[in-house]
Amino acid sequence: MKSTVLLVATLALLTFIVTPRSSVSAATIDEQTIDFQVRDVAKTLRCTICQNESIWESQAELARQMRTVIRERLVQGESPEQVRAYFQSRYGDYILLAPRRTGLNWILWAGPFVLLAVGSSLLYRNLARWVGAKSEPTAVEEPGPPIDDAMRQRIEAEYRGRQD
Amino acid sequence: MKSWQVILVAGLVGLVALFYRGLWGDPRAIPTVLIDTQAPTFSGPEVRSGAPIGFDQYRGKVVMVNFWASWCLECRTEHENLLALQKRFGSNPEFVMLGINYQDRPEDAQKYLQVYGTNFQHVRDIKGTISIDYGVYGVPETFVIDRQGVIRFKFVGPLVGPSYDHLTHNVLEPLLRGQPVAAS
Repeated sequence: MKSTVLLVATLALLTFIVTPRSSVSAATIDEQTIDFQVRDVAKTLRCTICQNESIWESQAELARQMRTVIRERLVQGESPEQVRAYFQSRYGDYILLAPRRTGLNWILWAGPFVLLAVGSSLLYRNLARWVGAKSEPTAVEEPGPPIDDAMRQRIEAEYRGRQD
Repeated sequence: MKSWQVILVAGLVGLVALFYRGLWGDPRAIPTVLIDTQAPTFSGPEVRSGAPIGFDQYRGKVVMVNFWASWCLECRTEHENLLALQKRFGSNPEFVMLGINYQDRPEDAQKYLQVYGTNFQHVRDIKGTISIDYGVYGVPETFVIDRQGVIRFKFVGPLVGPSYDHLTHNVLEPLLRGQPVAAS
């Protein structure tokens, strides 16, 4: 009984000590979570002014305003996907830095790998042909028909004629 | 010709055709997705008077919304045409023209309107949310919204020459007659 009372009292004391600090930590964690979410969403959206940059990196005023809109929507409870969907509904697929994996966009995603496979197989075929041609032994020529005596004498006469 | 050679040639021709198409036109242009969608509502202070203006008060009318800024050179190019449009259609109670001042300092916007004149109202887009709601990425951009609140026309760039003529004859006039926008 005494140990139970002691245990409950200890737990109550700990809760009293810990609770105020926990609520401050929760607020800080929420802010941090929102910050990270803003960054994660902003990094996937294209700046429409500096079109090769994300709105996270871009210093354009519009990019700054878009980051603010992202933060406001996340704080209001929207998910990162919902925030992305909002920007996509305003600017179309172009606002997404990575093309969506749907329809004809699959050509963009799969194209490099297909081209790599095709190029590799063509290269392999050609290499195999070159290597195969080099390693094959040179065919031995079949001997021609035997030379008869008349031909032998003629060859010798012509050879002697050239030497003179 | 072997079949793989045919495929290779066809692929190369396709690529060349794609490059040909991509090399012409404005590479920075972003195709709009807002045509035939409900126009986002907006509100804000009038640039000169500070009085609150809201899109909702013009529901049921044909509304032309023009995004501009005092630092925008192309906006100055089209300014006279905008005044002419308001002069031509402004007396029609079914028509409203609104300017949206985009990423500008209030004093610069006021000075711009003082110098170049204006005959219609302009809303300040203080936080940039109106511009983002309308998918604006550069000025000038012009939208025309029909009586049902649906965006029927969007143009990026100054309304001069053929674009001005198209807006007048193929967009505003038909919509004000209760007819659909004519094809370009």
